[in-house]
Amino acid sequence: MVSARSGKTLNYPRPFDRELVLESYGVTVKIQSSDADLLAEAEKTARTALVGSVKIIESMDAKQVFGVSSDDTGTLYLFMNGERIATDTLKKRFFKFFNGLLRLAVAEHAPNRVFVHAGVVGWKGKAIIIPAKSFGGKTTLVAEFVRKGAEYYSDEYAVFDEKGLVHPFPRDLSVRDNSFKERDIPVAEFGGIAGTEPIPVGAVIITEFEEKGEWLPRKLTVGQGIMELIPHTIPRNVNTKFALKVLNTAVSDAIILKSHRGEANDIALNLLSIY
Amino acid sequence: MNNSQRPIARKSGLVVQEVPDEVLVYDLDSNKAHCLNRSAAMIWKSCDGNNSVSDIAKLVEGQAGGKVTEDFVWLAIDQLSENNLLEKQISSAFEGTSRREVIKKIGLASVIAIPVIASLVAPQSALAASSCACTTPGNCAVLTGCPNLANCNSSGVCAP
Repeated sequence: MVSARSGKTLNYPRPFDRELVLESYGVTVKIQSSDADLLAEAEKTARTALVGSVKIIESMDAKQVFGVSSDDTGTLYLFMNGERIATDTLKKRFFKFFNGLLRLAVAEHAPNRVFVHAGVVGWKGKAIIIPAKSFGGKTTLVAEFVRKGAEYYSDEYAVFDEKGLVHPFPRDLSVRDNSFKERDIPVAEFGGIAGTEPIPVGAVIITEFEEKGEWLPRKLTVGQGIMELIPHTIPRNVNTKFALKVLNTAVSDAIILKSHRGEANDIALNLLSIY
Repeated sequence: MNNSQRPIARKSGLVVQEVPDEVLVYDLDSNKAHCLNRSAAMIWKSCDGNNSVSDIAKLVEGQAGGKVTEDFVWLAIDQLSENNLLEKQISSAFEGTSRREVIKKIGLASVIAIPVIASLVAPQSALAASSCACTTPGNCAVLTGCPNLANCNSSGVCAP
């Protein structure tokens, strides 16, 4: 179509003519699309994003609605709850963004779970939780724990149930090289295995890498520990009361430590020797 | 300093979670989280609009088992007011004196932990706190914790 005013070609995303509805962690998600290939790619992305916790269901209602479409030039369009969220010409990057957004939507609205952005490993039946923002060194630390024999639970989310137990969310570890390129690596390549059972929290480690940093931890109170977890707690604005209650239950018997750290190897050795 | 003032603890728009020896308060209006230590929590809970500062000092003294002065109560009220945890703002009782000086003065005389409120502002968007994913540089501008706020690389990360 050509604009009468500017004479420029106008491209519009094709209308949606097919859809699927999935359920994950109690959240129903509708994905609409303009063509079969895009819908298939979206479903595949959803299964990866939610680590297989996806069930295709027959439902008219959905709490979260995504749309993926394209136009005549091949530009891809992502919609979320009726709003255009992103456009891209690179398919891989587009679906990576969709992956993150979908996972976040489920994490934010799951009715019976509290998702905290954190790395998690299991050691002697207890979870070690490492909350951190993106590029905070979670994956590096988690990988080091796994190399030393800890069970892999997640490098993305600590998933708490109402009893405060941590459930596995064992997606492939997202490792970045020096040029910020990401590669997903299965835990087996680190010589590790993924945990399968929900476990109680043994320790919460608040730490950031610092050049020449030294691991000199100080113990935090439960309240101080929860304060550190709040910025990483995904449903903090949507389901605040439940989230705070679960965090309290989860960490009330845990050791909560805070310190800068140097190399991941040193802190992993130190922490695993505590238990 | 008016010790006959009767402060009222704010209730609306707050989620309160009791934890051992502390109280967590999440302000839904401002996305601010507060951690009140035991002394601050006791004083906050006594702010019912009926108790004066002098009354609160006596009440807390009874609960805490140590001498509580009105300055001690004001130290908490000052912080509660500053963090919008009272129905009405109350002007600082320590005009012209730094809080550090007040804490020093009260702390030396008190056997009870001085009231402390630790606060933080949680990021408004869950995405901002947990992701550096992007499709265009425009996505990166709000992802303040990412390595680059102006570039979306070919991996879909706000980074060089």
